[in-house]
Amino acid sequence: MPRTTPTDFLALLKVLRNHGVDFIVVGGVGAVLHGAPVSTFDLDVVHSRDDANIERLLGALDELESYYRTQPEKRLRPGASHLSSPGHQLLMTRFGPLDLLCAVGRSRDYTALLRHSVEMLIGQGVHVHVLSLETLIAVKEETAGDKDLATLPILHRTLAEKSKP
Amino acid sequence: MPAQTWLCHNPTMELQPETAPGAPSISEDGVDLTLIRWMLSLSPAERLEVLQQFVTSVERIRAENDAD
Repeated sequence: MPRTTPTDFLALLKVLRNHGVDFIVVGGVGAVLHGAPVSTFDLDVVHSRDDANIERLLGALDELESYYRTQPEKRLRPGASHLSSPGHQLLMTRFGPLDLLCAVGRSRDYTALLRHSVEMLIGQGVHVHVLSLETLIAVKEETAGDKDLATLPILHRTLAEKSKP
Repeated sequence: MPAQTWLCHNPTMELQPETAPGAPSISEDGVDLTLIRWMLSLSPAERLEVLQQFVTSVERIRAENDAD
């Protein structure tokens, strides 16, 4: 993997929005947008897997010059069948790592998550859907990997502070 | 380095609001509440900028180390 690919979260999200891609920001970037003091080096999103959205997503990924970061030397590009599949697509783009997730937690896909998301202005007039902090916590508790367990206390405390009048 | 870590670098700490006297700064489970309060005082766009600054700093350090 090239170590010089500069990460630019806003630029990444802007390209996705400019192509009209339906997606929800989850993971570390979602947590930060809710005010949690955590850090991450990739952008995790759950995308809608309907056919029209897959087409829009392919356009965005083309502009982002994306390829699978698991085999960077091959520069394999995702196709419609990959993006429609239930697997996760771990990509490198010209604005840094992008993880396209078909679902998170206990098989919660875009349709199931959308009603648990909030719209946020993240700069330069860009609005994105972000998974609610409550649901972000629930999803992490469902998967409960080591990384999630380390982050959960911060998310719980952020939610508690946020809920204070 | 793990994909997700604690956000320990805080280049704009001077913007952090004063904590009310008596309010705990660290929770019982060791979470720095002052960082959370500071982040909550920012807009989502500003929070993303904080994260971006952190990542950019780390990337710059990595690049400098690679050049050595």
